[in-house]
Amino acid sequence: MLLRCRIPLSTFALEVDLALDSRVAAILGPSGAGKTTLLEAVAGLRHIESGEIEIGGRTLFSSARGIDVPPRERAVGYVPQDPTLFPHLSVRGNILFGTRNAVSRNGSTEFSLEHVVALLEIGQLLDRSVHHISGGEAQRVALARALLSRPRLLLLDETLASLDIGLKERILPYLKRVRDELAVPMIYVTHNTVEALSLADWMIMLAHGRVTAQGVPHAVLTSGAVLDEIDSGLENVFEAVLIDSNADDGRSRVRLESGTCLFIPYTPKPLNSRFQIGIAGDDILVATQKAENISAGNVLEGTIRGLDIAARQAILRVDAKEEFYVRLTPTAVRRLALSVGVNVYLIIKTRSCVILGG
Amino acid sequence: MSAEIWQITLFSLAVALASTLLILPIGIAVAWVLARKNWAGKTFVETIVMLPLVMPPVATGLVLLKIFGRRSPVGAWLYDRGVEVVFNPKGVLIAMAVMSFPLLVRSARSAFVEVDPRLEQIASTLGAAGPRIFFAVTLPLAWRGVVAGCLLAYSRALGEFGATIMVAGNIPGRTQTLSLAIYSFVQLGQDHEALTLLGVTIVLAFIAVALSERLARSKIKT
Repeated sequence: MLLRCRIPLSTFALEVDLALDSRVAAILGPSGAGKTTLLEAVAGLRHIESGEIEIGGRTLFSSARGIDVPPRERAVGYVPQDPTLFPHLSVRGNILFGTRNAVSRNGSTEFSLEHVVALLEIGQLLDRSVHHISGGEAQRVALARALLSRPRLLLLDETLASLDIGLKERILPYLKRVRDELAVPMIYVTHNTVEALSLADWMIMLAHGRVTAQGVPHAVLTSGAVLDEIDSGLENVFEAVLIDSNADDGRSRVRLESGTCLFIPYTPKPLNSRFQIGIAGDDILVATQKAENISAGNVLEGTIRGLDIAARQAILRVDAKEEFYVRLTPTAVRRLALSVGVNVYLIIKTRSCVILGG
Repeated sequence: MSAEIWQITLFSLAVALASTLLILPIGIAVAWVLARKNWAGKTFVETIVMLPLVMPPVATGLVLLKIFGRRSPVGAWLYDRGVEVVFNPKGVLIAMAVMSFPLLVRSARSAFVEVDPRLEQIASTLGAAGPRIFFAVTLPLAWRGVVAGCLLAYSRALGEFGATIMVAGNIPGRTQTLSLAIYSFVQLGQDHEALTLLGVTIVLAFIAVALSERLARSKIKT
């Protein structure tokens, strides 16, 4: 995938030159960096002054060769930040809108209505009006609509929606399923570093229309230049299996992929159900000695594997079988004399572990 | 009501309907182009389209008379092919169509402007071509404005007087419409017929206003 374009905007020009070979590329950056503009340009909705866009060996745009494939022939699924559902159609009418043209675009049979509806859990919404569904549901419907047009590339703009929509409504778990089961390459714009971490295999930082950093997510995220730009919460996301529940105790127990067990607030879900849990990087305490007599339900032992300090914050990468990201103040790092290789204890309150995706 | 009154009423209703149906596709096309496209001479085209709304109807009628009269190139060309417009029911149709056209365009245009262009863009990324986007997205979302425009145009056509009398004359049983007939009956002192027709126009106006109010209300609800 090749994205090279120059687009003049009101105060600066978007100028990117990217060669991507990823399943999911996440684009992060402050508001007004040109992220949405870039997606629109790839979808063919925005005039490109000069450049070249090539996806899967097919040139969609080339100013040099005079190629500009119209949006309807690009086979690029676009899910904007505001889901932009057709207000006069039902949920079913919306998601079937693109199927008419779909077969000619991508021969894959993965994208059947039944499969996509099941994957995104929108079966019970099909006959509803789009005015009577929640924000998170609307996002899933918009995603289903894009998928059923059988795109060769999926463009997702999450920048604002991720702020408006509650944790339980997050689209992230569904995007993971789409990534794993449908194998459509994605370019994903987000504010949330952890979403990007848990979904993407390539990360691009965009600021003022320029690419300021790119690489594998962990490397990008812990580089000093990027730390300053992170303004959203740093969150840890894990796959979890429910292994024990006790309503009277008010807590349940989950096992993570590494075998580590965590207490989480009580959930009525059946045993062995699988879900994702999120732990904010700001909610994890770090101690250099094992603390006794504390109320927190989870204490994990681990080793610091990465430490990045910028002017206002320090990001700690701790290997406690699972990889945890913790955000501290630079003062705390100095006071505890934290550095790479140091053994630490991560103290996590039960209530800081949140089930994602409802 | 006498046969004469019935004939006048039905003739007016039928020609006004034909005029509305005639301008509907053209009006929708012009409204959409004005709502969505920009080009150098747009203001000029807008002005031409809206002109009949502000010009005295009699003046517009005179323009039509000069265009379709047998001595003009257009009129002569049509006459050679057996089509006569002046002092003919076709003249009534053309006068009504021209006079009501701006009302349809205005209403439909603002309805098209209100449709979020993002929806059309998304439709294009889903593989829909221009005509499908228009008929599956734009028009269904703008239909209330288009129907309201039709209602306005139809009412305007029924009430048309000045341009009609210039182009088509006031020939009883041939080109005489409701408005023209009321004028004639009053001139001839036939007050009973004039008042009957007045009653008919009041009923028709009432229906038109009630329908458009209802339409406006349903718009607020959604």
